[in-house]
Amino acid sequence: MPKQVISLTVNGRSYEVAVEPRWTLLEMVREELRLSGSKEGCGTGDCGACSMIVRSPQDERGRLITSCLMLATQVDGCAVTTIEGLATNGQLHPVQQAFIDTGGVQCGFCTPGMIMAAKSLLDRNPSPTLEEVREGLAGNLCRCTGYAKIYEAVIQAAQTKKA
Amino acid sequence: MAQETKLREEEMHGEYRNVGKPVKRIEGAAKVTGETVYADDMQLSRMLHAKVLGAPYAHARIKSIDANAAREHPGVEAVFAPADLPAYKKNFSNRRGMIFPDEEVLFYGQPVAVVLASDPHVAEEALALIKVEYEVLPPVVDPIAAMGEGSPLVRSPLGDVDRSEERGHVTVGVEQEEAEGKPSNIASQMNFRRGDIEAGFAEADVVIEHTWRSAVVHQSYIEPHSTVADYDASGELSVWTSTQAPFYIRDELAQTLGLPENKIRVTATEVGGGFGGKIYLQELMVAALAMAVRRPVKYIMSRKEDMLAATPAPQAVIDLKTGMTRDGKLTALKSRVVYDSGAFPGAPMLPGCLLVGGYYKCENLDIQGYEVLTNKVSVGALRAPGAHNVTFAIESHMDMMARELGLDPIEVRLKNAVEEGDPLPSGQPYPRIGLKQCLEAIAESEVWARRSKEQGARARDGQRGDPARPTSASGRAGRGLLRGTGLAVGGWLGGLQPASAIVCLNSDGTINVTVGSADITGTNTSFAQIAAEVLNVPLEMVNVTTGDTRTAPYAGMSAGSKTTYTVGRAVKLAAEDARQQMLEIAAKRFEAAPEELEMADGVVRLNGSDEKTLTFQRLGRLSTNFAAPFPAVVGRGAITTRKMAPGFTAQAAEVEVDPETGEVTLLGFAVAQDAGFAINPLSVEGQMQGGASQGLGIALSEEMIYDSEGRLLNGNLLDYRMPTTRDLPPIEAIIVEVPSEEGPYGARIVGEPSIVAGAAAVGNAIADAIGVHLTDAPFTPERVLRAMGKL
Repeated sequence: MPKQVISLTVNGRSYEVAVEPRWTLLEMVREELRLSGSKEGCGTGDCGACSMIVRSPQDERGRLITSCLMLATQVDGCAVTTIEGLATNGQLHPVQQAFIDTGGVQCGFCTPGMIMAAKSLLDRNPSPTLEEVREGLAGNLCRCTGYAKIYEAVIQAAQTKKA
Repeated sequence: MAQETKLREEEMHGEYRNVGKPVKRIEGAAKVTGETVYADDMQLSRMLHAKVLGAPYAHARIKSIDANAAREHPGVEAVFAPADLPAYKKNFSNRRGMIFPDEEVLFYGQPVAVVLASDPHVAEEALALIKVEYEVLPPVVDPIAAMGEGSPLVRSPLGDVDRSEERGHVTVGVEQEEAEGKPSNIASQMNFRRGDIEAGFAEADVVIEHTWRSAVVHQSYIEPHSTVADYDASGELSVWTSTQAPFYIRDELAQTLGLPENKIRVTATEVGGGFGGKIYLQELMVAALAMAVRRPVKYIMSRKEDMLAATPAPQAVIDLKTGMTRDGKLTALKSRVVYDSGAFPGAPMLPGCLLVGGYYKCENLDIQGYEVLTNKVSVGALRAPGAHNVTFAIESHMDMMARELGLDPIEVRLKNAVEEGDPLPSGQPYPRIGLKQCLEAIAESEVWARRSKEQGARARDGQRGDPARPTSASGRAGRGLLRGTGLAVGGWLGGLQPASAIVCLNSDGTINVTVGSADITGTNTSFAQIAAEVLNVPLEMVNVTTGDTRTAPYAGMSAGSKTTYTVGRAVKLAAEDARQQMLEIAAKRFEAAPEELEMADGVVRLNGSDEKTLTFQRLGRLSTNFAAPFPAVVGRGAITTRKMAPGFTAQAAEVEVDPETGEVTLLGFAVAQDAGFAINPLSVEGQMQGGASQGLGIALSEEMIYDSEGRLLNGNLLDYRMPTTRDLPPIEAIIVEVPSEEGPYGARIVGEPSIVAGAAAVGNAIADAIGVHLTDAPFTPERVLRAMGKL
């Protein structure tokens, strides 16, 4: 299938990638850029394991998206943040650290998407209530934790970020 | 009593520096950064992707398959239909003994052909080019209809059925009767009888009889089944797969493919959720394809394929009749337990029959179990397989009888609860267990305390006995929302398998632990705690590896909640062995006896001496350097056990029911569970909350819906509704600790019991709110409205 070249940044680094029109953003990131942290749990946008933050040139702030439902060609010119882009200089992002500290990580498969959703929530609302956390993570399924420790993680991360 | 238990816990945990403390996952950083490698993250040179064609009928005969057009599709490397598969030892009686059907398709979505290509899109395209001609046969979908004399047969007769996989989940030394004689859809059956059932009912003041139905549910791990296999020129087969059971897969592959076990290397890649559903399934196909094409092959199930053709958990139909005296004594229990096994045997009839009569002392029992075949996908384990189905029945009954007799639901359960020495329905006596302690603990939960407060207020206001309580606390006053609280107990017996471990001292003084068990629940972190405890060092000095089946010492499957109980014990023994070897080296250096030495914080010292000390690093060098005077320190631990360490739980639910829409909102949920000894309380709580959430899905929303032709109608995560954050308030976890006899530090089985009681607890809470018990789970708005007589 003929390919089309797109330009984008992923985690602050610029790329030009030749993509097939049928490739999803998730597929391009995992298979072409070999950033395999984002996961495919359903391929239909229901589980959120593939969540990324995409900012188009006209956006002020990025949007949380399910990358299995977005075509690679749609992110031409955009800035994409994946789970690999959160830690800086070997220092975990407060959300990542909080997931470890509270036991919010179990099997780890939903974790990259869940953390992206939590980061996106805290970017919009730095001090969410429990109810706001439950609302903000509603697009991300976790089968291991029953969410209790994930709620704790997000609230702890909010406090750490403020401190 | 609960207070005493708590005090004892503090005493127990106070003695230790590592075990009994909440510890973060040792692999946590890799998981939160996305660096952990799951099977789908593997990339091998020349790797091909497999895409599978599923049958569009639940029962059919394959008349012909024409794959020529698919083979000619540009980019396709190979196509395999049943006739093209390499030779292997087939067994059509067990799902795992076959790749494709010989000619009889037994369930909708059953794999019938596979395409291999470098580009997965190309393989997918080629599937549409395979022409299969079917003769459609009548499907049998309902298990009760399937049991009828006149029912068409689900399949050609079974041969020898291998039940080894089920024994990994529950190991109790009881056999079921395999079907014999006239062909029928009943694959196996069993019966437990005790006392005089009719006399028991005659003695009772209340006798009730109901039928309880629960749905087919899916494990719904977020990572679908995923496998990569490769076969090299020296005849070695490597399989990287998301499994709970690497050694089991190795053994099965060896038998089926005719390879020696030492030529097979199965690596359990990080498991993105298993819950009993990832034991052994597609690995045979992927391995056989890799051997046939002599290239690495990757197969990742789509979510739809996983829902159509993996191994979900069975529906069951439980007829139950129970009797109780006025003062709350259970006098008789009669049950017919029917599990729908799908197209192959493997349903958890045995644990179901044991548990339906296994929670309470009851002198008169008559339990009859049936494992029935239907033209649906074959079932597998889901966290305490079969337990939630029967628990829904018996725990609803206990609630109904207590209500009718005006007894307290906790008191009536305490009065009858089994304890050490009481027999299971099979006659086997329970070892030490903590069911009563769980009931005492749940009484102290916030959820139950709120109920007690409300009941007190109700009694004062003269409303006692009125089950429907209008609520205003939700802020939605005026709609007549109804609130209720309910509880239920549950338990699981657990699996038993031998286990082993190796503990080595490195030259820098750090410690390596190697095990063969897949870490699906944080067990490697617990093993680090155990080894660090024995060697009296900080946790950071220990690392733990799950090896593959060629490098690791043997472990059973990580199923049946047995990993900490069995492998943990082996790790403790291996660490003790390593400790002894280190003490002996030091004793020789100090010319003292090992008993005169003490070991703490990475230093061995002669009692009371400041000079006669050897660091672990020095010991490491003395046993690894060139011309070192001592052999390497390699501790070995190996165990077997035939003693169960059953785990019990008591759970309380608080719900709000909208009488106009039938919608049930969960306001609070509490789980008390006996962990024996919580080696890592953070992990134990996580298991309790996670298992409970799966029980809540079974209660409220999860159901695989099949039409009359056996086709799954909701094979995706939008229409199959597992709980989301919107559905679940934070779940309260209360750890109870009644030590097991043989587990490390008293630990007992933990992973599974938490799923067991959710449906019953929520059902009882709904009954408390609306005045009537729902007999079919999940409790959808439609079923709630029907129960209320509004539909």
